[in-house]
Amino acid sequence: MSRIAITGIGVISALGDSVEANHNALVKSECGLSSLQLFKTIYSDTLKFGEIKIENEQLKNRLNIKLNGITRTSLLALHALKEAVNDSKLTKSQIESYDTALIVANTVGGMCLTDELYQDSNSKENGSEYLSSYDCGSTTLFLQNQLGVKGVCNTINTACSSSANAIMFAARLINNGYAKRAIVGGVDSLAKFTINGFNSLGILAPQNCKPFDKDRNGLNLGEGSGFIVIEKESDVDDKKIYAILSGYFNSNDAFHPSALSDNGEGPFLAMKGALKTANLSPFQIGYVNTHGTGTENNDEVEGRALKRIFEIVPPFASTKSKIGHCLGAAAAIESVFSIIALNNHEIFPSLNFTTPIESTGLTPLLEYKKYSFEHIMTNSFGFGGNCSSLIFSKK
Amino acid sequence: MYIHKSTCISPQQTYSEVDLEKTILSVNNILTVVEPKYQDIPLNILRRMGKAVRMGVGAALPLIKDSKNIDGIIIGTANGGMEDCIKFLNQIVQFEEGRLTPTNFVQSTPNAIAAQISITTQNKGYNITHVHRGLAFENALIDAQMLLKENLDFNLLVGGVDEISSYNYNIENLGGWYKEKEIDNTELYKNDSKGTIAGEGVTMFLVNNCKENCFANISAIKTLHTNKTDEVAEQLKLFIADNISPEQKIDLFITGENGDNRLQNYYNICEKVLDKNTGIARFKHFCGEYPTASAFSVWLASQILNNQIIPKHFIKQDRFPQSLSKKTLSDICNNKVERILIYNNYKGQQHSFMLIEK
Repeated sequence: MSRIAITGIGVISALGDSVEANHNALVKSECGLSSLQLFKTIYSDTLKFGEIKIENEQLKNRLNIKLNGITRTSLLALHALKEAVNDSKLTKSQIESYDTALIVANTVGGMCLTDELYQDSNSKENGSEYLSSYDCGSTTLFLQNQLGVKGVCNTINTACSSSANAIMFAARLINNGYAKRAIVGGVDSLAKFTINGFNSLGILAPQNCKPFDKDRNGLNLGEGSGFIVIEKESDVDDKKIYAILSGYFNSNDAFHPSALSDNGEGPFLAMKGALKTANLSPFQIGYVNTHGTGTENNDEVEGRALKRIFEIVPPFASTKSKIGHCLGAAAAIESVFSIIALNNHEIFPSLNFTTPIESTGLTPLLEYKKYSFEHIMTNSFGFGGNCSSLIFSKK
Repeated sequence: MYIHKSTCISPQQTYSEVDLEKTILSVNNILTVVEPKYQDIPLNILRRMGKAVRMGVGAALPLIKDSKNIDGIIIGTANGGMEDCIKFLNQIVQFEEGRLTPTNFVQSTPNAIAAQISITTQNKGYNITHVHRGLAFENALIDAQMLLKENLDFNLLVGGVDEISSYNYNIENLGGWYKEKEIDNTELYKNDSKGTIAGEGVTMFLVNNCKENCFANISAIKTLHTNKTDEVAEQLKLFIADNISPEQKIDLFITGENGDNRLQNYYNICEKVLDKNTGIARFKHFCGEYPTASAFSVWLASQILNNQIIPKHFIKQDRFPQSLSKKTLSDICNNKVERILIYNNYKGQQHSFMLIEK
């Protein structure tokens, strides 16, 4: 079976609106978290978020979108997707062929438009322009229409691990002959729905999150999108190959709708399975991009699962301390970050860490480092026990 | 991909004692499900469940509670717990954010159905939720098909779930997707007007690679995104050429015709692709229109293949004037029904072809 090669990457996050901008910010260990300037909620000033400081109109202009009823979620997705597709140099006929799949992960869809959705779902007349833009599928259908993709199109929602599963599904489509190449990614925008949802669960941090710290007190929500183009390695002629998607696995923790089990069985099985698909031993993993949300529950459980998998836990960190938790976009954005790390022989630290969690004693990477390694693992664990891990390897 | 067990909670008698003859009528252009008693779900848990989660878990448990070896739970749902979702949204607006209770939020995420099934059955296997609107269920089937190629001995639960609440009814209604005048579902195909009637339902299948004692075989699936009727017909021809050999025959064509005259042309043009002697059946008067209604059609096809009976109301009458008095499909086709082709269309944008064989 030919390996799955990554030939294009694109990203927009609180750290920047391109791969280059994000890379520069990662190298400088910058933090993109802030109070809200564009998005209005009663928590705008009291909580910190990974907000992208580009207004919708500006995104529309940049992307040359003149249609009505297009949500911020769709615009952020198109922004990252275009960068990835251009980067991969896919031709128009390749994009429009029946062999190209489009797989998008998304959890809020058009629910970023709380007031419009409230009106439309509670009334019998005067519908808004967003009637067909509320569901998660609406973003994928918008992208499909913009690009004219004709292959398998799908939208996946497994909460915070959505885009890891999107990447996995896309790779399996290629491996099983359902597609020759896939444009795959994830997106989410800030929404009162998720801000209030996570707040009602008491897991939003008042300050910048502190992944893996003993005194961590919750997560920051972020927004953004990450996309990659994947192709069979044997089909890639002289194009640049950023990395190989060598491992992936999905498992359920089967414990609680909004918390992970104490010993992290789901995370453990996801990592173990990804290593098995990649045919790698744990010691071969050079760096782990952790899920590391900064919540009481996740970081301790993830730490325990890491210790169960790795005899010596490799350098690890959470980029959520810089961009927040981007939910359905998290794994896609962090996959792009992982691919950047692998390509540039560097690893990016976690911010705001001072004291290890007692039960694990683990300290994340605290400084930017030049560091050459062959394989990177990236973790995503979601509500509903949905756990997935991916492994990217050097070509 | 062989179906070994299935359950269907629909607006009709399809759950415990299946009665496909009798059609329960729609109310205000909505067909709501006949919910069973959910004996497998503990009462304290049942009370907290929203409708989509309740129906999903309720339909799944009878299939898997006795099986220790379920290797994956694959759900297709466009909207998941829509009612919980808007309830939470209403809280946000009415209480101007502030301190809210998380129950509706946790229940509203579409992956809550697959998650709750895995928690209830302690299943740590593959677990995923496809939410691609009118092709959410088809993508779930594609996922299952791939998993069964990758793991020959797997047993999978795969299903489609969508609920109709007053909230998504309002949104779809404002979008012009339902009939303006109130009609009976039994008259669905007689109105030359735009819109259809709303429905909901859950269909769950236990599938694997084992042909022995199977209920039916889902042998091929293809999905398509286009608004061009010609392209749909072209792709249907290709699908038939790729999956059915010249000596094989399609005994029945089940379509997702839903009474919306804006979509009728897609169905007309697809019917023309098929041999004149192919029987044609419709099902949306029975379950209503919803994004994962195609899951109901797969269940219906498997019932027809097994029982070799199809009540008259499913049959598109104008193709078989001489056979109207006869009740069974085998009479109409003059031979056994072995192969059923399904074509569904969601809002003229998302299309699927599925081949179901004995």
